[in-house]
Amino acid sequence: MDLPILVENLVVRFASSRGADVRAVDGLTLRVEAGQAIGFLGPNGAGKTTAIHVMLGFIPADSGRVSLFGRDARDAAARRRIGYLPEQADAYRFLTGREWLRFTGRLCGLRGRALENRVEATLDEVDLREAADRRIATYSRGMRQRIALGQALVHEPSLLILDEPTSGLDPVARLRFRNRMAAWRAEGRTIFFSSHELSEVELVCDRVAILARGRLLAEGPPSSLVKPGERLEACFMRTVGEGGGP
Amino acid sequence: MNALAIAVVVWVDWMRRKDVYVFLVMLVAILFAVTSVDAFGLRGVALYGLDVALLLAWLFGWLLAVNAGSRELPQEESRGTVFLLLAKPMTRADLVIGKWIGAWTSVACAVALFYVAGSAVAWLRGVRFDAVVMVQALLLHAVALAILTALAVACSTRLNRDAAATLSGTISVAAFLLAHRIPELALHSRGWQGDALLVLYYVLPHLELFDIRQRVVHGFGPVGTATTASVILYGIALTATLLLAAWLAYRGKRFSRGALAE
Repeated sequence: MDLPILVENLVVRFASSRGADVRAVDGLTLRVEAGQAIGFLGPNGAGKTTAIHVMLGFIPADSGRVSLFGRDARDAAARRRIGYLPEQADAYRFLTGREWLRFTGRLCGLRGRALENRVEATLDEVDLREAADRRIATYSRGMRQRIALGQALVHEPSLLILDEPTSGLDPVARLRFRNRMAAWRAEGRTIFFSSHELSEVELVCDRVAILARGRLLAEGPPSSLVKPGERLEACFMRTVGEGGGP
Repeated sequence: MNALAIAVVVWVDWMRRKDVYVFLVMLVAILFAVTSVDAFGLRGVALYGLDVALLLAWLFGWLLAVNAGSRELPQEESRGTVFLLLAKPMTRADLVIGKWIGAWTSVACAVALFYVAGSAVAWLRGVRFDAVVMVQALLLHAVALAILTALAVACSTRLNRDAAATLSGTISVAAFLLAHRIPELALHSRGWQGDALLVLYYVLPHLELFDIRQRVVHGFGPVGTATTASVILYGIALTATLLLAAWLAYRGKRFSRGALAE
């Protein structure tokens, strides 16, 4: 069976403002098995979002290979099984929540009754039924984050790629999000999730990958990375410190 | 199908923007004022009112086409929704074509409304014109708008909104005012300057071919079917070329978080 995510020796270079060659991702290799929840950790500027952008075909790799379900990441069909929630997610504010989900569902190939059923189910899933016919412009920040999450779920993807999904959410919304993640895992979905919230990752993920300065410093189940009596946060600080992180 | 879904959303965005309605109401008011002029009791003056109305339709259409075409793609980047769209099972060609269809059809419909309003006001003021020529004028104008929006979309694939609007606006004004005068200039130029002018003549879009306002106003009668078809085919070919260029530029574009800061 094809792996949901396979990254091999990925290198992404950028030219810095001084013209120097900067490796945003440096030889990253990662295998994500079906049904796993993997936390993608790293300090700011570690290359997490860049790696995710290459996975989704927004930027090309300078070398190495990325495949999603065995297909090239730039192949539109490969993205049919993926739900993506970007960092700083936004939606079309001139649409209502229901219209937004209908639009994004249509882009994923849903039509007719199936589309309407999924839109209604997703509104329930992100707790926005009451506000479904209000324009997104009138939503609070947390509601906008939920409607953006809705577009990632509307087509029932088997792989969820979430880039710092809880940033900017209040504690209640975070707790709800954590519960949702647990439910997705129970449904057998694969979750690839970047975050700064180590406690969240510790609770939800069965594997973590720690990245700093574009390099993968550690990868495996949290239990295999932490020392006895240590929390993931301490493990993270130790790993990033040893790896020459900022 | 994805391109159509995107076009529909561009439409909804247009319908829910109040500035377009304000603009339309303002133009109809100007139109009314202009066609009301009846200086010294001369009936012919109202005819020039229709001329002014059609000129306004061209100006209004040009402004909307350049603005709508250059806004759509950069807007997706500035609000970050481009990442959501490109993560869907759709191609960048779908996005470019969908944005163009949405922008062009909405501008063309706004201009058509203006033609209807202008014709109705002129008719009420006693101006009589050939309806067939008026329909031809609108059809050719719509094709010119297809070229203009495609040009603006092509510019916006690599530039931000303001730069794309400025560049596409400048090219289109230059094309409209200068392109048909280039052969005269070329006659008086020698060597490479003459060759360069001829290249420019063939490269610039010939928007003047789509402008038959004077035929409507002065009652010159309809343009022949073969000529109309040739001009429309030229417009379609030019639009397709511009959209191909837009897709080629957008296909290799690197999207990064930096886009959000623009």
